Amino acid sequence: MQEFFSKNFRMRRERCATIVAMSKAIKPIVVIILVIAVGAGAAVFLSRQSDEPPAADAAAFGLQLEAGTGHFRGPEKAEITLVEFGDYQCPSCGAYHPFVKEILNRYPTQVRFEFHHFPLVSIHPNAMAAHKAAEAAGEQGHYWEMHDALFDYQAQWSNKPDPKPVFAAIANQIGINGAILVQSMDNPKFQERILKDVQAGDKAFVQAVPTFFINRQPVHPRMGVQDFIDLIEANLKKK
Amino acid sequence: MKTRHLVIALLAFIGMIDALFLSIKRNAGPIPCHVTHGCSDVLTSKYSEVLGIPLSWFGLAFYVTVLSLAIFKLFEDPERPYEAPSKLIFYLSGAGLIVSALLVGIQAFILKAYCEYCLLSAALVLTIFLVCPHPGRPAKRTLPE
Repeated sequence: MQEFFSKNFRMRRERCATIVAMSKAIKPIVVIILVIAVGAGAAVFLSRQSDEPPAADAAAFGLQLEAGTGHFRGPEKAEITLVEFGDYQCPSCGAYHPFVKEILNRYPTQVRFEFHHFPLVSIHPNAMAAHKAAEAAGEQGHYWEMHDALFDYQAQWSNKPDPKPVFAAIANQIGINGAILVQSMDNPKFQERILKDVQAGDKAFVQAVPTFFINRQPVHPRMGVQDFIDLIEANLKKK
Repeated sequence: MKTRHLVIALLAFIGMIDALFLSIKRNAGPIPCHVTHGCSDVLTSKYSEVLGIPLSWFGLAFYVTVLSLAIFKLFEDPERPYEAPSKLIFYLSGAGLIVSALLVGIQAFILKAYCEYCLLSAALVLTIFLVCPHPGRPAKRTLPE
């Protein structure tokens, strides 16, 4: 009898100890879950907040573009205007380039594409030279050929101490005189035009390259051509 | 000891927000830099993922683990302190430090562009490693005689 009671008592005591241990473990777990929830909320809040400034200034941005900056390809008047602020030396702009070309092939009559210079000279030492080379090619009537080639051969001139010979070779390949291009690219009017685009970008709160706008609205395409297509289809349906 | 783990929990909390912010932002277009230049270059480069998994996810897992371990340590019974959390934090942050150093090296020498969120993360990992008690030299503890 006595043995039974003592056994029962031990079992109860053990159960109590387990409950105490569990309640001790529950406290930190609850705190961990709460802290993670607060952190997740903060991260979502911050990520949404930093999207807002460009959206708020979208209307002002549209007005800035009337000044005749940038270059366009596609029909002069189209249902969709896709604007890119880009940097020829930026690897992500290079990565987006095939997507933009795919869009232009897919919607030849509905999309007008505008490219605006936005060289980040502080981190891309050859960017300004590349943008000038594109402008110089533009003067010879081959802006877009040079634009495409600068992105296609980005890896070949990006890290060169002097990229000019590569620009000359690219120019020769697209059918314009490379020597003339290299000589003329330092004309101050090209730099002025580039800086005008940069100013327009600054006014539009462009903070990173590439930054895209569809019909004056800043857009955030993910890293895929399908996202561009979805955005353009959505905008075509709005019409 | 408690203060150290409180500091570690706070640092890991900041790191967790940083990593989650980047994970969300990765799928939502260009990431603006405020202090440095080239956030997009860094975060869209081929070094920004391993086997298709963005590095920020690994960062998130690291910070959530360290945060949980530090909180467990904060709630320990003073008479029966846990040994494992401190050790784990030490080894995890040591491994994290090596990875962070590698990533900062890639930013400095290969990409030549810096991402402030990644630099913040590297600084946090370094601080966690320095603050965390060294398992080789256990802190003084008064044992009941």
